[in-house]
Amino acid sequence: MNTALSNQRAAELAAIAHQIRFHVIDMVYKAQSGHISPGLGSADIMASLFFEVLRIDPQNPKWADRDRFVLSKGHSCPVLYTSLALRGFFPVAELDTLRKLGSRLQGHPIAGYLPGIEAASGSLGMGASQAVGMALEGRMLGAKYDIWALLGDGETNEGLIWETAMAAAKYKLGNLVFIVDRNGLQTDGACDTVMPTEPLDKKFEAFNWKVFKIDGHNIPEIVATMQAAREYREGPVCIIAKTTKGKGVRFMENTTEWHAKAPNTEQYQRALVELEESGV
Amino acid sequence: MSLTKAKAATRRAFGERVVELGKIHPDFVVFESDLGKSSQSNLFGDAFPNRYFNMGIAELNTMAAAAGMAAGGRTAFVASYSVFLTMRALEAVRSFVCYPKLNVKLYASHGGLTAAIDGVSHQGTEDIAFMTTLPNMKVLVPADSAAARAACDLALETPGPVFVRLMRDPLYEIYEPGEKFVIGGSKVVRPGADITIASYGDILFQSLMAADDLAKKGIEAEVLDLYSLKPVDTAAVLASVRKTGALLVAENHQARNGLGYELAVCCLKNCPVPFDNLGLQDTFAESGDYGLIIDKYGFSAAKIAEAAERLLRERRTEEIHSPALGG
Ligand SMILES: Cc1ncc(C[n+]2csc(CCOP(=O)(O)OP(=O)(O)O)c2C)c(N)n1
Ligand SMILES: [Mg+2]
Repeated sequence: MNTALSNQRAAELAAIAHQIRFHVIDMVYKAQSGHISPGLGSADIMASLFFEVLRIDPQNPKWADRDRFVLSKGHSCPVLYTSLALRGFFPVAELDTLRKLGSRLQGHPIAGYLPGIEAASGSLGMGASQAVGMALEGRMLGAKYDIWALLGDGETNEGLIWETAMAAAKYKLGNLVFIVDRNGLQTDGACDTVMPTEPLDKKFEAFNWKVFKIDGHNIPEIVATMQAAREYREGPVCIIAKTTKGKGVRFMENTTEWHAKAPNTEQYQRALVELEESGV
Repeated sequence: MSLTKAKAATRRAFGERVVELGKIHPDFVVFESDLGKSSQSNLFGDAFPNRYFNMGIAELNTMAAAAGMAAGGRTAFVASYSVFLTMRALEAVRSFVCYPKLNVKLYASHGGLTAAIDGVSHQGTEDIAFMTTLPNMKVLVPADSAAARAACDLALETPGPVFVRLMRDPLYEIYEPGEKFVIGGSKVVRPGADITIASYGDILFQSLMAADDLAKKGIEAEVLDLYSLKPVDTAAVLASVRKTGALLVAENHQARNGLGYELAVCCLKNCPVPFDNLGLQDTFAESGDYGLIIDKYGFSAAKIAEAAERLLRERRTEEIHSPALGG
C-alpha cells in the first residue's frame, strides 16, 4: 500500500542522508582515493532505499526473501558502504578501511566480502544485467522479493543497458526497478556533450518500461515513487531521478572535478563546513 | 643506468606524443570512451577536435567503430583503461582488428596493478595474455617517458594492430630522451653474469632495485627490459641465459600466460635453465597502495631478490646432485 511519509519520518531520512554524505566525504578523505561526488548526489536515494523501502534485515543479510540491491554504478560504492554500515550490516568504524590492503571495502564492490553486497560491479553496465538475472530467478521461483538497481546516466551509454532493457521487458519483470541517477555528468563532461541520451524517459518507454521522473533530492517524492514502482507488477520500472552531482558541498556540485578526486585536508574541512551549512 | 623520479606517468608521455605526431601526420584519428582525462587522450581532442571521437561509455562500440574507420587503411588510436580495451572490446579486437590486420592502435592506460587502488574491476592483470595471444597483434610496454614516446612512434609507423600498455602513476625515468627502441627489441639495463632477470614496464624498476640488493650479496644479476612483448627478443634472452645459466621473470600480470610462460617455452626449446616466474599466482589482487600490493602479490624488489637467491641456491644443489647437468 502507498502510505505517505510523515513529516517526521521524512526529516529522519533527511538526517540519515546527511550522515551518509558526511561518511562519504570522510572515508574518501581517509583513503585519499575514491569517488565522492557521485555518492553525495545519490545520498537521498540511498537513504530512502536502505532505511525505508528495501525489505532487508541487517541481522540476517542472506534472508531468502530480502530485496536485492545492485549498485550498477559501482564507482559510487562509498555511498553503498556507508548506507550498509549505518543500517547495521557491519561496524561504521570499518568505513575507515576503504581501499586499504586487506579491507572488505574494495575500490569497487564485490559480493561475498561484505554482508549486504549482492553483486560485483565497477565495470559499467554489468550490474544492470546481473539485476535482470536476479529478477528472472525471483520470477522463476515465484518469490516475493524485488530487485533494485542504481545506474549512472553516463552508464546508459553502454549497449548492455539496452540489451538488458529489452530482456527485462520481454520477461515482463515486474519485480525489477532501475533508478537512474540523472546528474547530467559523466567523466569527461556533461552527458549532453559526451554522449547525448535524451530523451531517456522516451527510450525506456519505447523499450516497454514504466517510467517515473522525479526530483532525486525530494525524499517524500522518492519514497512515494519507489512504493508506486513496487506496486506496478506489469513489467520493469525505471525511475529517472534528477540529481545534483556533489549535492551538499557547493564546490563539488555540478562539476566533473570531484568525480574521482580525494580532498586534501583544507578541502576536506571546507567540505564538511559546507555540508553543515547546506541543510542537506 | 640510474633511475630518477618521474614527473609524469607513461600515459601522459604517450598522450603528449600522440599530439606531436598528430601535427606531423594529418590523417590518423583517436577514439575514446569517456576516459579522455584518465588516458590523457583528451590532449589530442583539445588539439584536433575534428579527429577525436568520444564515443561515450561504450568500449565495444568504440573499438568496432574504430575498426570501421580503419577499414580503408586509416590509422585509429583507441584509448581506454587496459582492462576495458582488452576485455570489454576483446571480440572486436580479435575478429575485426587483428584478423583483417587493421591499423588500430590500442592506447591502454592503467595497465596491470598500476590501478591497484581501484580494485579488481579496474586492474588489467590479464591484458598481456589476451593481447599476445592474438595473431597479428604487436605488444609494447614502455617503462618510462622516453620509451612511451618511442612506443607511440612505433605504433604509428608499424603496419597493423599494436597494443601499448601504459601506467597510471609516475614512477621512474631510466632512458635518455631520444633513446632508440624497435619492435622486437629489448635492452640490457644492467649487465651481470650470475642470473638473468627479465621484466617490463613498472616491474623493470623493481628488478633493478632487486639487482642492487643482490649485488650487495655478491650476486650480479643481468636485468633485461623486454619492452617489446610481442614479438619478444628471444635472441637477447637466450644470449643472456647462456651466460648466466638462470632466468627469473617478474611481471605485473598473471604469472600464467604472461612473459614468464613465453620465455619458459623459449628456454625449454632452446636452452633449459633453472627458471622461475613471478606474477599473480592464479589469483585476483585487491585494492590497496601500489607498493604494498606488488609486495603482497610477490613481485616487489624484495620478492624478486628473494626469488633470485632461491633460484641460485636450487641451482647449486642441483649441480651437486647431478654434476653432468651443470653449466
Ligand atoms: C565499462 C566501464 N568503462 C569505463 C569506466 C570508467 N568510469 C567510471 S565512472 C565513469 C563515469 C560514470 O558516469 P555516470 O554513469 O553518469 O555516473 P555518475 O555521474 O553518477 O558518477 C566512467 C567512465 C567504468 N567504470 N566501466
Ligand atoms: Mg552521471
